[in-house]
Amino acid sequence: MRDDRDEFIDRVVDELKALPPVPADATARVLARVEAARRGGSDGASVHDAGDDVTYFPAASDESKAVPAVGRPVPDPASPHGARTGGGLRRRFIVSFPAAVGYALAATLAGFLIRGAMPRSSTSTTVAQVPTDHVDDSMLAPSAPSVTPVSSSLSREAQENPVPVQLVLDARRATSVVAVGDFNGWDGRVTPLARDSASGLWSTVVDVRPGRHVYAFLVDGKTWTLDPRAPRAKDPDYGTEQSVMIVGTP
Amino acid sequence: MRRHWMVAPLVAAVALPGTSVAQTPRPSALDSATAAAIAPIVAQAQAAKLPVELLIAKAREGQVKQVPVAGIEAAVRTLAQRIHTVNDALAPNATEEEVRAGVDALAEGVPVQTLQAMRKAGRNGSLAVPIGVLTQLVARGVPVEKASVQIVDLLQRGALPRHFIALDNRVREDVLAGRRPDESLDLRLKGIIPTLPVPAQVEGAGLKANTPGKPR
Repeated sequence: MRDDRDEFIDRVVDELKALPPVPADATARVLARVEAARRGGSDGASVHDAGDDVTYFPAASDESKAVPAVGRPVPDPASPHGARTGGGLRRRFIVSFPAAVGYALAATLAGFLIRGAMPRSSTSTTVAQVPTDHVDDSMLAPSAPSVTPVSSSLSREAQENPVPVQLVLDARRATSVVAVGDFNGWDGRVTPLARDSASGLWSTVVDVRPGRHVYAFLVDGKTWTLDPRAPRAKDPDYGTEQSVMIVGTP
Repeated sequence: MRRHWMVAPLVAAVALPGTSVAQTPRPSALDSATAAAIAPIVAQAQAAKLPVELLIAKAREGQVKQVPVAGIEAAVRTLAQRIHTVNDALAPNATEEEVRAGVDALAEGVPVQTLQAMRKAGRNGSLAVPIGVLTQLVARGVPVEKASVQIVDLLQRGALPRHFIALDNRVREDVLAGRRPDESLDLRLKGIIPTLPVPAQVEGAGLKANTPGKPR
């Protein structure tokens, strides 16, 4: 066993002896390069001073790179990175501006690619519940314009949401005007009109559901008044004339 | 006597503000005589799960128009029958606005078969606007049979509420300019139909030109 190990060591020694000889000034050159780097060498990279356990950043000028005689570095107060940054063998990378832009673009592209492969939050709950291995682009694509009638994409109730409608009446001598119609259950207390001080017109805005509606104005609480701006129709049940409006969603 | 005891709470619910038995969203303003006259009708409608607010509004309309109580009661009773008819014609799941539009259409002479055909042709869309425009066309003087066929045809072609409203506006302008309503309808349809998305017919939803007359 011991003989085997000796043979192995001998082979290694033989191999090392076969390596090209190291130049005599190699050590001196390595030391010179280290010293140059320590003084903020031409490559611009940060240098770690193992002896002080301090990390320095390249300074803007040779003055800021000055090292006191005792060997302790002086942080550059003008540089945001000049402050002492604590212990440990920490390493920082300084990247040139063009390289930083390149990395940023690459990261952005990667982000888009990753996002495209993930289910989008804007898709419906139904899509979100589909297992991801069955999700394809057609399922994730936002809804495209189509000729499908709105009536088939919205519920009936949603299509009947109220729409604000302005009612206007010119009744300058009136002291009060209210609107009565099927949109307010013919209740004369629900929809009073207000007089506009500038024009003298009475008006109000009332929420009305889409469809055909009949109405009229009650002036001073008793005078049945039709809307001169609206078509008229005869009430088939009570026989009176009334105004008509047909309201639709915008 | 016992029957009066049953009706009395309903009369109070119809006449008094803020009560919830009649499911009135706003305080009613019916006088006691009118409230008592319509209470049995409202009770029947409520038992049949029909929208009783339409009945109470019809009674208020009569009061506002200073119609005698007997006239109001007759109108409310007729309306209750119409509501029942329309509810069946527009089944399933007719909205309150559709029912309200439907009873107005029946009152104007639109046959119930037209409403049934509109439900089939209109797929899942609300019929409140199409029925309203049909009612207004008939009220303007377009023959009910002609108007019914054309409105159902528009629904089959995928017409939207804005198409119906545009049609109504144009016919109104033409009538104001002196044109006959039925002529105007024919003319304006030629401008709207090419813009509609669906040329195909929905099977079984068509309305023949010999639609039965008024069910009034």
